[in-house]
Amino acid sequence: MSEKKRSEVADVDRSLYDFTKSEEGYERYDDGLTPEIVRAISKKKEEPEWMLQMRLSALETYHQRQMATNWGPSIAGLDLNHISTYVSPKTQQANSWDDVPEDIRDTFDRLGIPQAEAESLAGVGAQYDSEIVYHNMREEVAEQGVIYTTIEDALHDPQWEPVVKEYFGKLIPPSDHKFAALHYAVWSGGSFVYVPKNVTLDYPLQSYFRLNAQGAGQFEHTLIIVEEGADLHFIEGCSAPKYYAANLHAGAVELFVKDGARLRYSTIENWSKNMYNLNTKRAIIGSNAKMEWVSGSFGSHVSYLYPSTIMNGDSSNCEFTGITFAGATQDLDTGCKVIINGSNNSANVDTKSISKDGGVNTFRSTVTVGRKAENARVAFSCQSLMLDNISRSDTIPEMDVRNATAQIGHEATIGRISDDTVLYLMSRGCSEAEARTMVVNGFANPVSKELPMEYAVEMNNLIKLEMEGAIG
Amino acid sequence: MDNVLINRANVPAAQTWNRLRANSLSVTVPNHADAGKVYLPLPRLFERIECGMGQEVTDYVESQAFKSDFYNVPARTKRDEPIVVAVSAAQNQCANTGIIVREGAEATVVIAAFAGDVDGDAPTGSDANDDALPTSAALTRIVVEAGAKLHLIEMLGVNEGQQHLESVGLEIHQDAAVDVKQYALGGSTIGLGLTANLVGAQARLDLNNRYHATHEETLDINHLVRMRGTSTRALLTESGVLNEAAKKTLRATIDLVRGAKDAQGNEIETVMILGDDVVNKTMPAILCDEDDVAGNHGATIGSVSPEQLDYLAARGLSHQAAEQMFIRALFEDAIINAPEEISHRVAVERCEAELGAEIAHDYDGSAASDDAAGNSLAASDGRNSDAEADSSKGGVA
Repeated sequence: MSEKKRSEVADVDRSLYDFTKSEEGYERYDDGLTPEIVRAISKKKEEPEWMLQMRLSALETYHQRQMATNWGPSIAGLDLNHISTYVSPKTQQANSWDDVPEDIRDTFDRLGIPQAEAESLAGVGAQYDSEIVYHNMREEVAEQGVIYTTIEDALHDPQWEPVVKEYFGKLIPPSDHKFAALHYAVWSGGSFVYVPKNVTLDYPLQSYFRLNAQGAGQFEHTLIIVEEGADLHFIEGCSAPKYYAANLHAGAVELFVKDGARLRYSTIENWSKNMYNLNTKRAIIGSNAKMEWVSGSFGSHVSYLYPSTIMNGDSSNCEFTGITFAGATQDLDTGCKVIINGSNNSANVDTKSISKDGGVNTFRSTVTVGRKAENARVAFSCQSLMLDNISRSDTIPEMDVRNATAQIGHEATIGRISDDTVLYLMSRGCSEAEARTMVVNGFANPVSKELPMEYAVEMNNLIKLEMEGAIG
Repeated sequence: MDNVLINRANVPAAQTWNRLRANSLSVTVPNHADAGKVYLPLPRLFERIECGMGQEVTDYVESQAFKSDFYNVPARTKRDEPIVVAVSAAQNQCANTGIIVREGAEATVVIAAFAGDVDGDAPTGSDANDDALPTSAALTRIVVEAGAKLHLIEMLGVNEGQQHLESVGLEIHQDAAVDVKQYALGGSTIGLGLTANLVGAQARLDLNNRYHATHEETLDINHLVRMRGTSTRALLTESGVLNEAAKKTLRATIDLVRGAKDAQGNEIETVMILGDDVVNKTMPAILCDEDDVAGNHGATIGSVSPEQLDYLAARGLSHQAAEQMFIRALFEDAIINAPEEISHRVAVERCEAELGAEIAHDYDGSAASDDAAGNSLAASDGRNSDAEADSSKGGVA
């Protein structure tokens, strides 16, 4: 059989992210995980006692729980004895970029955050290693009663401390899995967002997480409450420079979307290839609510990432649009979970994955339709593109349906660029390279069109779909 | 007598979250191994064949079936009489069968699991120990050599309070073609696993699985197709009806192995849920280690839509009659496709149990008279006679 021609797609260009800053003068806790370190983090943040106790209990859970050995990528290279769980630059949180230390400001300048804030964001939080270094929100948004701050600041505010206590760790309990427990033991930084009833934000809020330190972990916690009838778009970005020492990201995102509310949560994740990305994201939505996930996963050495939506109310909708790009040395296990318990709910899942240069993509999902979930409608589409014969792409969905009125459709395809499609386009006047470029761009387009403009541009830069002709 | 706990059967090639409880089947079965007997194994070449239910079930059957049956279908011959493997759950029968369909040959293999009557001498699982239900098991390993054709029909229908384990391994060589028709028609627990290794170029597998589960039955299926040869083709079509409080788990995996250029694997599932307490789990996985391939999966899970019911109601069919029509179609398909007497009677008896004698015997003119003569499966041990089974044996009997 003759060898078919194969598309050439350039690596993700990481030069934008691969720069480091000195850690000199930073506060860095010892590597490893002990009750003393957990107490020190809590003491530094001057937390209420309940939070300290929660951390210590979570630490015990972390030591008790084991990672499953029968599924998922290996995390054998991750040794908590060589990870510092807390690294902080010697600076106070600022609400003006002018007050941010120059090297850190330069980092975020290069990532385009201040520019994006000025042009199209309602507020920005920027975390550098373990602490938020910049936080600001437009006055008109604050006047609407929107709260956008750090979890730490909310804990120190008598008005919001009870709210944090009510919601924190309730959707993702420390017992959820081993790295959720680790997160609760050593969490630091992140965002607290509260959108009052019937308030619509015209512009998104954005948090950007940068892990500069080598051999360190980032454990930010994002807690968002969107009250009844409110509307929010929240954007999360993350990146890190490449080291040879393992880094760890074990964040947690808890999203509470009340009746009639809408939340769009967009993520562009571009961690470096030494990163273990063991992140947990979960939303619970009420009746007549809408949850939209837009997820782009491009970085990290190993990822376990499955944003989950629990639909307990009636007549709600969940949409998940995701793309994952796995290149050399990457093993990305991503997907989503949808749990439907209420009636007349619907969910649409559309995912794409691209594998090249030996990268491993695994799409993993589950849809659960509970006994009382009348008239659930779910449409799942999962498409994987293999760009060479040394990569791997697996699709492992699961559906658990317990109601006779459910209508579930699921389709998955894995393959390479169709020769027929290329031939068709060539018959319309395209060169072969143009045709292949068009096909790959079209493959990623359903995801990029869901992103804010600057992120769509970033995604296109990340993928760098530069077709360099075709070779055998 | 001790029971045997088969802890992890039907484990798929790629597993997922353990909390979903979809990664394996756990089942307790009776142990009738006899330390005083010499167990006669199959030729060792069958050890290389991976079976659908996994090693624990292979070990169990090999420990229970002291006699193994080996069949050889000579090259470039067509065997007219099907090779029949039949086991009775009431008698806790286990069959360990190895078959080689030689180059260019053609054969039909039938595996039938039926309820049967308790043999006075045979210990039953329930008698031996209350924890283990009477259980039949069939371990069938088949090598299909180059250019050969195999027609495999599995007709599985035991009674409530009985179990059956069905583990099949296929090795399919160049230009060989295998078509499989599986019918899972009832039983407290039916474990059904099939692994097909398409090792040769242009090897082909067409698998059509139809099932019906009701009451509190558990149906657990594991289908794995490893596509290793170039230009291999696999089509898995799964469809069934679930009623009352039936629990079904289907794992269907297409494994596109590196080097399997131009391979194409497709799987389609259609599930109709009719009961309010049904648990329907589906895990359709595609594993891809080669770029020049195509893997597709499509699934539709649901009930009869109101529009469909309206259409049928306009033609005089009640809701219940319309739903029963789907079940009837499934049993009719089983009856029509049963190629010989035992499998035919399994299908008819299960149809009779679910839909009544009138419907069942619409397609079985001779069965009524057979039953009157006491010739039903309940009165027969259902096994091949030794003379028939030995007719083309090449080795162990």
